[in-house]
Amino acid sequence: MTPQDITKLIVRTSMGDRAAFDLLYRQTSAKLFGVCLRVLNDRAEAEEALQEVFVKIWTKADRFAVSELSPISWLVAIARNHSIDRIRSRRPPAVDVDAALDIADPTAGPEAMAVASGESERVHRCLEELEPDRAAAVRGAYMSGESYVELAARHGVPLNTMRTWLRRSLMKLRECLER
Amino acid sequence: MSIADDSGPEPGSDEMIAAEYVLGVLPAAERQAATRRIEAEPDFARLVDQWEARLSPMAAAYPAAEPPASVKAAIDGRLFAGNRVQARGVSWWSSLALWRGLAIASLAALALYIAVPYLSPQAEVSAERYVASLAPTGSDVHYFVVYDARSQDVGLSHVTGARPEGRDFELWVIERSNPPQSLGVIPVGQSVHLDVADAVRNKIEAGAQLAISLEPAGGSPTGQPTGPVVAAGDLNSI
Repeated sequence: MTPQDITKLIVRTSMGDRAAFDLLYRQTSAKLFGVCLRVLNDRAEAEEALQEVFVKIWTKADRFAVSELSPISWLVAIARNHSIDRIRSRRPPAVDVDAALDIADPTAGPEAMAVASGESERVHRCLEELEPDRAAAVRGAYMSGESYVELAARHGVPLNTMRTWLRRSLMKLRECLER
Repeated sequence: MSIADDSGPEPGSDEMIAAEYVLGVLPAAERQAATRRIEAEPDFARLVDQWEARLSPMAAAYPAAEPPASVKAAIDGRLFAGNRVQARGVSWWSSLALWRGLAIASLAALALYIAVPYLSPQAEVSAERYVASLAPTGSDVHYFVVYDARSQDVGLSHVTGARPEGRDFELWVIERSNPPQSLGVIPVGQSVHLDVADAVRNKIEAGAQLAISLEPAGGSPTGQPTGPVVAAGDLNSI
């Protein structure tokens, strides 16, 4: 599936086309389940989240038209944000240090390749311009949806320091990406 | 850590909040506030989108994992279990034969916002809705219109065509050979609404034509179109 194919499926889904929705599910559910699993770190909860994510995709598919994102990035954003909303509403927050430290998986599936275009190299190069622990904090936050509190605990720094680290890192990233 | 580290870059700025939202680090209450702003504030939503785009290459590192088949069954159960829910998807869209001629990309733009109320489960299909594609007439101005008779609300989705500096688009309803009646100046925006006065309501429901004219800022000074008609189309009940 090319990004154009996925775009067509999203547009047809926005028109209530169930066959397109089924195909979209077949093509993207593994990637999105991977996102839910990684952020939630709990299989049953990730399955529940994936259901909610696809219900959102069905009802909000028309919003894709105004998004500036690539289709797979748009879908991943829904899954990621939904999963992060779920962990934020958990009490108390679960901190799985091992899961959070295990970052990149080079065996990403074909859907993942749609995300990893030339842009990918650029963002990773820009991350490398940051100090290593800050780059790790950015990656950990993005991949696992860790909160400032969890990140501060894991890196052994005060909460305000972590906030400052990440805010500065984000601005440096933006500056590097726009160079 | 140095002393300089204590001051962050514009901590409360929209730019920063959007970035922190996308990164995922905000506490629950601040995330919820950001979510509400994404829905309500297009400018903020754009900032969030830009950050999603910037950081999205990192998502390549999420390993794919096959979900169990029970998940898709549960999704279908949630979405399509009730006949009513299923029916609205089919009848609303399939009745719009005119849409089929339109390019698929513009369809998505047309459906934007307008479709949202109809796609929500509580909405029922009603015969009291009218649609019109106001196609360009010697211009590049294209609007898509949905009129809801119950709320007397005209929803306009802007497809293409910017209004010239210092001018406005005015929407008119034309019933047979009667003089056009103004529905008002179309507000600037991607998806906008106009209220319909009782007097105009009957005309619309009698099956009228809609037209958009180019007028001085604030609308026609005479009560009748003074500028060129830039887009027009028939209202069809659905």
